[in-house]
Amino acid sequence: MFKKLISRRNIAISASIFSFLTATMAQTVERASDSSNSNLFYTDNTFLILLFLCLLFLIIAFFLYRVKSHLDNILHEKTTGKEKPTYYEKSLRPWLQTLNPTITALTIATILGLITFIKAYQFGMNEVGVQQNYSPTQPINYSHKLHAGKLQIDCKYCHSTAEYSKQASIPSANTCMNCHKFVNLRDRYDGKVSPEIDKIYKAVGWDPENSEYIKDYKQKPIEWVRIHNLPDLAYFNHSQHVSVGKVECQTCHGPVQEMDKVYQFSTLQMDWCINCHREKSIDVANNKYYEDLHKKIKLEGKTVYTVEQNGGTECAKCHY
Amino acid sequence: MENKNKYWKGIEEAEQHPEFVKSKGNEFSDALPIEEMLSTLDDDLSANRRDFLKFFGFSVSAVALAACNKASVKYAIPYIEKPQNVTPGNPNYYASTCASCNSGCGMIVKTREGRPIKLDGSNESPVSSGALCATGQAGILTMYDINRLANPLENGDEQTDWAKIDKKIISKLTSIAATFGAIRIVTSTNNSPSFAAAVNLFKQKYPTTELVTYDAVSYSGILIANEKSFGKRVIPNYNFEKAEVIVSFGADFLGTWISPVEYTKKWVKNRDPKNGKMSRHYQFESILSLTGSNADIRVPMKESKEGIYVISLYNEIAKLAGVAQLAVTQNAELAGNQIKNSAKELFNAKGKSLVVSKSNNPEIQTVINGINMLLGNYGTTVDLDNYSNQSKFIEADFEKFVNDLSTGTVKGVVFVNCNPVYSYHNSAKLSEGLKNAELVISTSISKDETSKFAGYVCPDNHFLESWGDAEPKNGLISFTQPTISPVFNTRQVIESLLTWSAVMPENAKAYNFIKSNWASSGEDVWNKSIHDGVLLKPELTVTIPSFAANLSDSVSKIVSSLPKSDTPELIIYQKVGVRDGSMANNPWLHELPDPVTKVCYDNYLSISKSDAEKNGFEQNDVVNISINNIRISEIPVLIQPGQAQGTYAIAMGYGRTESGKVGKNLGKNVFPFVKTENGSYTYNISGPISFEKTRKNYVLAQTQTHHTIEGRDFIREASIGQYKKNPAVKNENKLNLISLWEEHDYTKGHKWGMAIDLNKCTGCGSCVVSCHIENNVPVVGRDEVILRREMHWMRIDRYYSFYDDGTILTKEKKLNKVDASVYDNISVVNAPMMCQHCDHAPCETVCPVLATTHASEGINQMTYNRCIGTKYCANNCPYKVRRFNWFKYNDNDKFDYHFNNDLGKMVINPDVTVRHRGVMEKCSFCIQKIQAGKLTAKRENRKLVDGEIQTACSSSCPSGAIVFGDKNDPNSQISKLFRDERSYHMLDEVGIKPAMMYMTKIRNTDTTI
Repeated sequence: MFKKLISRRNIAISASIFSFLTATMAQTVERASDSSNSNLFYTDNTFLILLFLCLLFLIIAFFLYRVKSHLDNILHEKTTGKEKPTYYEKSLRPWLQTLNPTITALTIATILGLITFIKAYQFGMNEVGVQQNYSPTQPINYSHKLHAGKLQIDCKYCHSTAEYSKQASIPSANTCMNCHKFVNLRDRYDGKVSPEIDKIYKAVGWDPENSEYIKDYKQKPIEWVRIHNLPDLAYFNHSQHVSVGKVECQTCHGPVQEMDKVYQFSTLQMDWCINCHREKSIDVANNKYYEDLHKKIKLEGKTVYTVEQNGGTECAKCHY
Repeated sequence: MENKNKYWKGIEEAEQHPEFVKSKGNEFSDALPIEEMLSTLDDDLSANRRDFLKFFGFSVSAVALAACNKASVKYAIPYIEKPQNVTPGNPNYYASTCASCNSGCGMIVKTREGRPIKLDGSNESPVSSGALCATGQAGILTMYDINRLANPLENGDEQTDWAKIDKKIISKLTSIAATFGAIRIVTSTNNSPSFAAAVNLFKQKYPTTELVTYDAVSYSGILIANEKSFGKRVIPNYNFEKAEVIVSFGADFLGTWISPVEYTKKWVKNRDPKNGKMSRHYQFESILSLTGSNADIRVPMKESKEGIYVISLYNEIAKLAGVAQLAVTQNAELAGNQIKNSAKELFNAKGKSLVVSKSNNPEIQTVINGINMLLGNYGTTVDLDNYSNQSKFIEADFEKFVNDLSTGTVKGVVFVNCNPVYSYHNSAKLSEGLKNAELVISTSISKDETSKFAGYVCPDNHFLESWGDAEPKNGLISFTQPTISPVFNTRQVIESLLTWSAVMPENAKAYNFIKSNWASSGEDVWNKSIHDGVLLKPELTVTIPSFAANLSDSVSKIVSSLPKSDTPELIIYQKVGVRDGSMANNPWLHELPDPVTKVCYDNYLSISKSDAEKNGFEQNDVVNISINNIRISEIPVLIQPGQAQGTYAIAMGYGRTESGKVGKNLGKNVFPFVKTENGSYTYNISGPISFEKTRKNYVLAQTQTHHTIEGRDFIREASIGQYKKNPAVKNENKLNLISLWEEHDYTKGHKWGMAIDLNKCTGCGSCVVSCHIENNVPVVGRDEVILRREMHWMRIDRYYSFYDDGTILTKEKKLNKVDASVYDNISVVNAPMMCQHCDHAPCETVCPVLATTHASEGINQMTYNRCIGTKYCANNCPYKVRRFNWFKYNDNDKFDYHFNNDLGKMVINPDVTVRHRGVMEKCSFCIQKIQAGKLTAKRENRKLVDGEIQTACSSSCPSGAIVFGDKNDPNSQISKLFRDERSYHMLDEVGIKPAMMYMTKIRNTDTTI
């Protein structure tokens, strides 16, 4: 009866361990296969590949060990005529016989179960859908460090709609052309147009030799890879934060002016949003929308009025 | 609680049928099969443990595998050159004109990233005055219909291109014109000046061309009567707002008659008891129409006898006026002497009264004109100068066309925006005739019955893809502008006609052509007109016409055509929503419950309770009908309170054989029953009707008793007399309840609230469709509606009550001993019902996962991503307004409507989540609109203006019954309404403090006004 139970539980445990291992492996393989793709999701998968190889070598070593011990046994049997008592028979079995099988099985199962659960929970909470540091390769090797950092171009020159729309928007190619009609870095590429800038020209149909748009050119939009992917169930409006809240772009997007290749700076997880809403205060004095509220707060003698106090952590502010 | 049992939603509730009693206590129609599941589980415990482990192992690995699936790479593709006025994430609004029916309402189209997602009424247009009906709003989905034609077709199904098809058509037209063969352009009522100009050019090229107008629903009785009476073949402008007494003989002017949105706007102006004065509205009709359900005094009347009642009304008024009466052997009188009463009141309100009739008999309409003349209504409530162009159909022209087709004189036909093979009563003759024609062109946007007979199908653009102009009223030009580039390879009819007329390609472009037609007005006027959507010429001063018709001639004709005996009659009527069936492929219209019968999908044989008993019919029985050798088989029966005895009614617009996946073979086509009498189509057919009851049973998807309120005190109503004595009538008992809950602090910002005036609500269903569109509500289909799983966030509860204040019902709990005729005379209250956003919401306290919470602005929030679908909230909601997603309705081919294809999904509002299976949803007070409105104000550094934020329902309401606003603003309209004596909270006694107030319905039923 107990034996039966143990074996069933063992099946269950091994099933779950197996599934977990399969999952990790599948993930590893998938991530590894990603490396061939230029727009990969995870870039630091070298470690995982190594881990996979390690496992492989361990398995091989195990088999080799088994073969060796088997051969040892045969040798022992031939010379002494008796089977060599294994380590298990010699020392492990007497100790094991002192243990209560039920309690042992349950303890092991609990420990393994807890580890699996905690791992899965952590994975679910912090990994699934969280793309922090995601830094895909873009169709044009565009450097924010150069444009926003060195050349000091304002973020909102290109991402102009951040001030008055839900989306900050990737600038349309004609925005690039405002400067790149004239800037093509010929001096650095032996009189040829910079290959990256040429990609813009190819998209809009600009003839750099004659400095004019090619007539009847079939334009092709530039397919930028989207880095910040908020789930559809959360509503986020840039203008609310940029125009009304006067939040700096860098607060959420990090030091973009220092990034050669842009990566996702924040986790974009809900606790990250909520924390800011709890800390950030509303400038009620300088927006006529809050006129009545401002009077009321003044009467109460409050100086700080956070977004949370204004209901900024309520569900339907973002989820509808 | 004194009202207990006074109101009932259907006969099954009034009589407490066992099935109703059984189901009324359950929030959901089917219990979950938990018992069943458990009983199979305890068969063999050992096997179950193994099963459990199997499932456990599988689910863990499945979850792990699913979780490690990497997120797909998403792209953000910007414009190459961003159009200046298009900002991703921000909506754009354009003024245009609705073409879902012939009313020509002005509308505002909301577009996001270049695709229209919502239609609303335009304030600029006097026809719509800021509202749009259910049919009009649903028109947007017709554009995103997957069954639309993607290319021009020839020889039936062969796809071709425009250049090829044009070449063939031009050569055929030329050869027909060269041999003097007649060409006809058959169009539904078209009042576009530019279309007329295009037809003229076409005529110049092909001189044998003539324009024939054909509508599925005829108003020619009015047109011909006005021609006879005043020499003007027009539909007058009816000024319901100036009428203190309105008598309508069956005209459903709030629902379907000519221009319902405009008439509702006007009618409601005199329905506010605040001034101590309300119009008195009499309705004499056979079926219970939407208008009849809103009338003060409604008397069932057999339509075939309408003539004699109209004459009697004339005579009664003539008696009072002291002029000669019309010669009839005997005047007729309706129940309760209402002809006499209404005559007296009409006469007392001389010059401020109005009599209208649905009848399509020119003789009856002539007498109606005579009555209005006698009452001095011309020049005040009836205006023949600023007349309407909303219907121009004259049967004789079309009949001639059909005859010419049969004889082979007509060689070429172009069908524009009409489908006569479906809706013409003698469809066989027409389709036979079409075979004689050398060239038949259809311009239908999707395949229909008529295009089947067309050698060439040149699909028109949808009106949201078109340029256009219309003149729905004399002096009112309403413009159409495209809000999306054509989805398919289609072309506007105007462009087609001009191309075939060999106009230069550049000039044949609809924009260029229409603009050139208005060139004389100047560029500025053109730009302003396109911006506003309308060009208003100054209204003409109203003249009083002289009456030239021979009334005694009309009377003798009416009398001779009266039915000799008391024969039964069949009424063919339009349903609100589906109307004439041209939009039969629109699932939103089918999902909208009919305002009166509350049936979704099908049409049905509507009969009175008495007739049902007489014939031995029960609800959902299936019968075959035949009249005059025309037979319709297998139509389900619906027992309708309020219907006149001896009348049987079936709605038109159903039974389409070619319409696309939704409308195909839905219901039965009754157009073949339409008869021609005195040259006009008549929609009441008297004569021996034979019924044949089949053994079948067909359950109608009727929502009337879903979400029943079990006799609780929801509705309050009073008469104007009571109101004048005490404006707070029925609301006297202000409850002073002690609350167990802590009060919320609403002082920081806004406190949203809504007021619904039961006095104004007509029940037209515009808000339901508006909410459906705005909030991405899925279409669930007939079978799911039967299971009480409709997803509409708001519904309109229609309550019946007996005229005599419910005494019959309160005296006798069970009605089955009472004569069936008690159901003939009923009155109706419509109450829109959606989430009441209670301050102490019962749903919030029972949610185990805090998915529904309270906001500091008084909104009850529903967070779908938290919801785990326990349904506790729905069970605890006393208003029954929460809806559970039983299925994943999007991308699911079992719900084959518009959510399962990419084109249909283009109508989705990007600001609102598309809910998944297993979560609750409900009205959110259009939180996305509130957030957007607040943000705009904050960005513009100003205070919020009252009325700036509108919910989908409040913005669409033609009668202005729904008002939304901030209760914290003491000057807002909502605060004023909340202070009104008529306002009350539904279920006040429960102490849940709803954020919505309803206003007592006041009926003008006192004997004198």
